Amino acid sequence: MIFLKHQFFTLLFLSVISFQGYTQSENEDNLKVGWSTADITPDMPVLVAGQFHARLSEGVMDPVTATILALESGEGTNSEKTIWISCDLVGISDGMRATANLRDEIRNRVIKAIPSILPEQIIVNATHTHAAPYVASTASVEDIYGVSLEQMADGKPAMSPSDYIPFAADKIAEGVISAWGKRKPGGMSLGLGHAVVGLNRLQALKHGKSRMYGNTNSPEFSHIEGYEDHSLNLMYFWDINKQLTGIIINIASPSQVSEHSYELSADFWHDTKVALRKSLGDSVYVLAQASSAGDQSPHVMVGSKAEERMQKLLGFAEEGTGRGSNAHRKYIAKQIVDEVTDLFPVMKANIDWQPEFKHEMKLVPLSRRLLSEEDVAEATKEAKTWQAEYDKLKAEVRDNPAMIETPRWYKDITISYSKLRRGLVVSERYELEKVQPKMPIEVHVVRIGDAVFATNPFELYLDYGMQMKAQSPAIQTFIVQLTGSGSYLPTKRSIEGGAYGAVPASTLMGPKGGDELVEETLSIINTMW
Amino acid sequence: MEKQTHINFRVSKIKKNLFLAISFFTVFAALQLLPNSVFAQDLYVGAATVDITPKLPVAVDGQMTVRIAEVAETPLTANVIVLESKGENTTVLVSCDMVTIPTELKEMIQNQVKESLPALDTKKIIINATHTHTGGVVRDNRYNIPEGVTQVKDYLKFVSDRVAKTIVTTYNQREPGSVSWGISHAKVAYNRRAVYEDGTAKMYGGTHEANFIKVEGFEDQAIQSLFFWNQKGDFVATCINVPSPAQIVENRSTVNADYWHPVREGLKEKYGQQLVVAGWIGAAGDQTPRPRYDEFAEWRMIALRNENKSPDFAEHSGEVNFRNEYHLNEIAGRIIRAVDETYETVKIDKHEAPVIKHEVNNIELPMRVVTETEYNHALKMRAEDMKDAESAQIFSRRIVWYSKVVDRYEIQKSNPQPMYPVELHALRIGDVVICTNPFELFTEYGIQMKARSNAMQTFVLQLVGPGNYLPTKEAVRGGHYSAIVESNEVGPEGGQILVNWSVAMINKLWPE
Repeated sequence: MIFLKHQFFTLLFLSVISFQGYTQSENEDNLKVGWSTADITPDMPVLVAGQFHARLSEGVMDPVTATILALESGEGTNSEKTIWISCDLVGISDGMRATANLRDEIRNRVIKAIPSILPEQIIVNATHTHAAPYVASTASVEDIYGVSLEQMADGKPAMSPSDYIPFAADKIAEGVISAWGKRKPGGMSLGLGHAVVGLNRLQALKHGKSRMYGNTNSPEFSHIEGYEDHSLNLMYFWDINKQLTGIIINIASPSQVSEHSYELSADFWHDTKVALRKSLGDSVYVLAQASSAGDQSPHVMVGSKAEERMQKLLGFAEEGTGRGSNAHRKYIAKQIVDEVTDLFPVMKANIDWQPEFKHEMKLVPLSRRLLSEEDVAEATKEAKTWQAEYDKLKAEVRDNPAMIETPRWYKDITISYSKLRRGLVVSERYELEKVQPKMPIEVHVVRIGDAVFATNPFELYLDYGMQMKAQSPAIQTFIVQLTGSGSYLPTKRSIEGGAYGAVPASTLMGPKGGDELVEETLSIINTMW
Repeated sequence: MEKQTHINFRVSKIKKNLFLAISFFTVFAALQLLPNSVFAQDLYVGAATVDITPKLPVAVDGQMTVRIAEVAETPLTANVIVLESKGENTTVLVSCDMVTIPTELKEMIQNQVKESLPALDTKKIIINATHTHTGGVVRDNRYNIPEGVTQVKDYLKFVSDRVAKTIVTTYNQREPGSVSWGISHAKVAYNRRAVYEDGTAKMYGGTHEANFIKVEGFEDQAIQSLFFWNQKGDFVATCINVPSPAQIVENRSTVNADYWHPVREGLKEKYGQQLVVAGWIGAAGDQTPRPRYDEFAEWRMIALRNENKSPDFAEHSGEVNFRNEYHLNEIAGRIIRAVDETYETVKIDKHEAPVIKHEVNNIELPMRVVTETEYNHALKMRAEDMKDAESAQIFSRRIVWYSKVVDRYEIQKSNPQPMYPVELHALRIGDVVICTNPFELFTEYGIQMKARSNAMQTFVLQLVGPGNYLPTKEAVRGGHYSAIVESNEVGPEGGQILVNWSVAMINKLWPE
């Protein structure tokens, strides 16, 4: 069976090669491609998402954007359509974890303007920058962080998440309308490169437990807990004159170098886009996707001194070097850009003008993580500790109101409130699992030529992505995580290791749900081959 | 006292200045004649390549069956670099296109060098193997090599003569030079052990199976390089540390230096034929240079880059065959790009007087204990391989493999915890260190060494010695070739001791 499958690939590949002599002309079966970007940078301070503590933005390092790719094959109402939106955000609220739903806010606006597009044809993914506006909840900031926005901003103007979400949705929907309107016949080419960007951030220690981050220069360090995937899955799009219009870049790493920034930033994707446009043209669009990377980060776990020296020698020292630095972002961008530009001539010579194009969305019910009474007891105990800390800090603010004039005074109190909330959700999830043991999630599978894109809303641990890639019949499988509001989906070994990301408070699903996700995703992919 | 006139004063002053000028030039000229070691410049470098391609036909080393090569597709080389600091600390680095470095060969080379250079401390000769599986057999009594085919002792003598002579020549021709170092990344290492739902592991096990759950261990994609320049500023030598063994065409019955050949050719084309390229394999006991997933995508990319010619599917297996020239060139291209990038970045940071310190330690590691079950299994399997003369000839290597387990079990009856002797080197050059071990060391141990090292860069160099797999605890739990007792003289307990020793030796070179 495997042999037959692979012979099929050979024939498929040879048929793709035969297209080299094909002269592109406008044809209803041709792929139509439209691009746009939307600047979703707010014009006043907002909450920055991604840490336990609140951060009220203190400026803009670089713009946060949404990149929109509109694809259509065929004509009329039966044409196959996909609107892909990549956002410089930490996650895409989808109603899974809270009432906020940026995804549907965008969809509603788009289908109102373009009725031929169905909601399930719109995919929104986050790059997971930790320096972008908070979109996870529409609740009051006091409910989210235990401190009001007015207090944090000390009376100055600031935009709440409930105001930012429609602001962003408006801008993104306008971008979709623009991309849809600009779609023109085009082709695509599929490429695979490699770049060492995503690094496993879980450190297994000799006593059997794991931790996220920490100093590996320690006798207690045993090994890196899991795998890394340095594939750079690429899809280049071309107009009929063989001019590059844009690229999808899929990499198994979240963009969180500048994760502690109080300035808004798209992180290393900003530097990558700037460098790519310098090499390939100002008009080139870059649509960034994070592959399964729940246990990955761009932070160097081993050998950071050597990497820092290389950054200095490359002339990036003025940007600051090492962890969290702009030099590190530029170094990552360089690696990605070098690979993309290296493949450029080969990709230009191998354009597929009529790729197979299919898009299916399925609501897949996944088993919630089965929690124990011990899990609840432990989390509740922690919540009580944080409640006491929060009450104490709250009283300090009440007794000393002048303290709010100190910059970032709210850091500790918002940490205590976030951790208090984090402890309480374990109990809520324990009760919910009893009555709703399964939770439906959206899985999109999009086939374009010999490649397939498979989405999930999680911070998906890498092993699950590897399973999907290894068993997929596609030549290249682009796993796209965070097409929803996230939550870690850890492996069995990570749960045994017990690091942040695998503990009950960090997860909605466990390994059972992960296995189901792999199985269901593969079954949809297989229907397309 | 004669009163000094204004004129006299001036004449006196001129004379004084003349005297000072003459003195200065005399001293300057004299200093030029002194050894450079008294100046800031105190690094001396020599480098040379020597051909060690065996006389054909030759048996090639690395698989369980006997393979006879009639053809040498590429030369095999030994690449020699001599480093001297302050005219006293001398280190010799020798990288050989071989599967391992038998202790016997190392000692032959040391003894021959000692005869010509009695003052040289031959303990400080580091000889490593690139682990090509298409080099001449160097391990005696492992294969039944037919008559008319180059015999192991003859090949060892040939290599020893050539390498020793080259070391002596290179030492005598050493000249002031400089060094730099750097790091880049390239996807060359692929962990070759797949783990399945039932917890078992398999070396080269399929990842497309429905019960595949993960790749067992880590991969290290760092490509670390050392660069050496001579007095004129010519780029004369490089050591490239790749954590993946050179065994792309490992199944051939030909002589081939594997991916190091196109790496050397590519770098020489760019930087000149004088360049000596030493291939250093990092901790890579569980790695291979062939893709383990995304095979079709990798295959397709190679095809596109090569005008749609590509590695083909392995006949009747349904697997992509990467054991060919295209993939050799693909991997070589990745390494060359990484080395180029590093070179261009660090060439502005040359060091003419780096700290050089070289420590050598001989230690003993506890051997992996053979259980009764493992002993009985070895007895049974050996008997099957020896069932007739033809089988015994074909599987001569495997018979030795099982026999060693049987022998170890017998020894354990009188010595329940035998020890395994190991030679370790730690060589500091400026801010970086090279630490060696004789094993096919699983990558996780190398990562531990790198993480706990005080050096800016840590080059882990495996197969500085006779080799055999040193697996992790998880690999032993998963089983299969490379993590079973037949494959291991030393197990995870010894592996951790090895790491601790290596880290201690490294960090001793960076006193607080």
